[in-house]
Amino acid sequence: MSIKKHIQQTLLLAVSLILFGFQSNSVAQNVSVSATMDSTVIFIGGQIDLKLQLSQPDGLDLPFPLLTDTITKNIEIVRLSELDTLNRENGRLLIEQNLRITSFDSGLHYVPPIVFEQAGEKINQLVQTEAMALMVINPFEEVDPQKGIMDIKKPISTPFHLSELYKYLPWVLGIILLAGIVTFIILKYMGRDIPVKIFKKEVPVIPAHERALSELDKIKQEKLWQQNRIKEYYSSVTDTLRHYMEERFEIRAMEQTTDEIMDSLKEINFRDVKSSDNLKQILMTADLVKFAKHEPLPDEHDMSMINAYFFVNQTKIEEIKSLEEEKAAMLSKENEEAVTE
Amino acid sequence: MEQSVDIKAINERIKEESSFVDLLTMEMNKVIVGQKHMIEGLLIGLLSDGHILLEGVPGLAKTLAINTLANVVDAKFSRIQFTPDLLPADLLGTMIYSQKKEEFIVKQGPIFTNFVLADEINRAPAKVQSALLEAMQERQVTIGETTYPLEEPFLVMATQNPVEQEGTYPLPEAQVDRFMLKLVLDYPKKEEEQMIIRHNLAKSFPKASTILKPEDIVRARQVVKDVYMDEKIEKYIVDITFATRYPEQYGLEKFKDMISFGASPRASISLSMAAKAYAFIKRRGYVIPEDVRAICHDVLRHRIGLSYEAEANNVTSEEIISEILNQVEVP
Repeated sequence: MSIKKHIQQTLLLAVSLILFGFQSNSVAQNVSVSATMDSTVIFIGGQIDLKLQLSQPDGLDLPFPLLTDTITKNIEIVRLSELDTLNRENGRLLIEQNLRITSFDSGLHYVPPIVFEQAGEKINQLVQTEAMALMVINPFEEVDPQKGIMDIKKPISTPFHLSELYKYLPWVLGIILLAGIVTFIILKYMGRDIPVKIFKKEVPVIPAHERALSELDKIKQEKLWQQNRIKEYYSSVTDTLRHYMEERFEIRAMEQTTDEIMDSLKEINFRDVKSSDNLKQILMTADLVKFAKHEPLPDEHDMSMINAYFFVNQTKIEEIKSLEEEKAAMLSKENEEAVTE
Repeated sequence: MEQSVDIKAINERIKEESSFVDLLTMEMNKVIVGQKHMIEGLLIGLLSDGHILLEGVPGLAKTLAINTLANVVDAKFSRIQFTPDLLPADLLGTMIYSQKKEEFIVKQGPIFTNFVLADEINRAPAKVQSALLEAMQERQVTIGETTYPLEEPFLVMATQNPVEQEGTYPLPEAQVDRFMLKLVLDYPKKEEEQMIIRHNLAKSFPKASTILKPEDIVRARQVVKDVYMDEKIEKYIVDITFATRYPEQYGLEKFKDMISFGASPRASISLSMAAKAYAFIKRRGYVIPEDVRAICHDVLRHRIGLSYEAEANNVTSEEIISEILNQVEVP
């Protein structure tokens, strides 16, 4: 009986050992890790992703290696992503982790195999990725200490891209909307009717002498002194001349007295010396009329008007006509003469 | 409705009455070298019955000028040196007890004269200043229960020293306003100073002759009042005064915060009177805008109150007046 029991126990042990042996072997064979890089070449300081993947049967809890800030002394880890389970088909899991790496040393760097130490201990097997190489290129000139101390280079300006403004777009739209609402409220409730003129019609510039001459014509037609409105007549004539002088000679004639106006005009070379004398006659007569109740003779009224016309005509800026305008003027004159004949 | 004015008749009267102007100026010039503006100002004050505030450093012939004027007009003159311990009674007079008569008798002060030089008026306390200024305005002084009218013509010329301000009592704006003109005196020119040296080192100092009597001045004042001032000139004066009060209405927004108070209606009256006197001096029976402009600075410079902002920006009342004259339309 004891022999039979011993045989049974031995067989049970053998079957158990066989079964256990198969199982551990199958687990070992079904766990695999890999590491891949986006690129094997980067510029100095450039960043790439290194992807760690662990393929394992469902139900196993295999930890990833605890990486901190470097892989080697030349390769730094910028950012570590969370573990991400990608696939649950066929009872297997694919777990992934991304490492953003960079390097600030140029040259070909060796990326050693990343060992899943704790996972390996659990399944009693060496679990590690393949070794890789990373080429780091320095695009800048090598610093030559022999050349001496150099200035720090200025920041390199990057090209502007519209996408940079996208983040401000909601703010801009918000401000425009707010301004629109405020304007609407002001116009609607404050009763302000503000006409918006985008295209303003250009007002033709009338030369100073033309305006002065037409004003003098108007005063003449009003026949003021004939109606015994002598003060008004002289005030209008002198005001017209003072406005004309302000525009023509750029002097503050409206705020100046007769003496001051004559002083201001001293530096101006008149074509005809009489212009200054004529102006003085008008202004002095006007002063006497306006401030001393002087009543000039009718001839003096006419003389003042003639002198005013003379002053404007003698001091006006001559218009320079183009050759075409001269020709057109001559032709129209000839035509007029032909018609009258 | 305009009054009927015979300008020709006024002109004739002015020609007659103003004949002393040249003589007076000539006599004054015998003694005073330069300072033509001060002499002209004195004459305007005398003819328009206004008082004068003089500002200038010591030694610019202020006392000599008014003394000479008193000599030329054959008028009485007193000089009062204002000091911190001066009392109103020292100026106006007081009642003293006469043991002989066994009653209080009135002892009139130095103000009972034709021309008063109130030297360094800002050195006396406010009560003395106001006693003088009240007498200037009312033309009479009350001592005890009796009121005594002051003599005619009565002209006060007060001086202020612009450099020594320590221990002084600056005149309040309301009292400064009582002075028709404020004249600012400057140093004489080189040639004038040379002449002053010669005058003072000569064996006999030149002396002005008496050519006028106080009654002549009183009569001349009547003629000055008759000088014709057109409505347009009146409007011009009002515009100038208003521009000191509301500069923004005359295109001078920049002065809005720089003027704390503008010229008073008394300034308009003084401008009119002084312009008339100026026209009289120029032998004209009517006022023209030039007359107003000629006296504008002297009449207005002490009547415009400057704000702290103006002082911070170094803007003076002179600049403000010049800008106003450049901005207000001349009729």
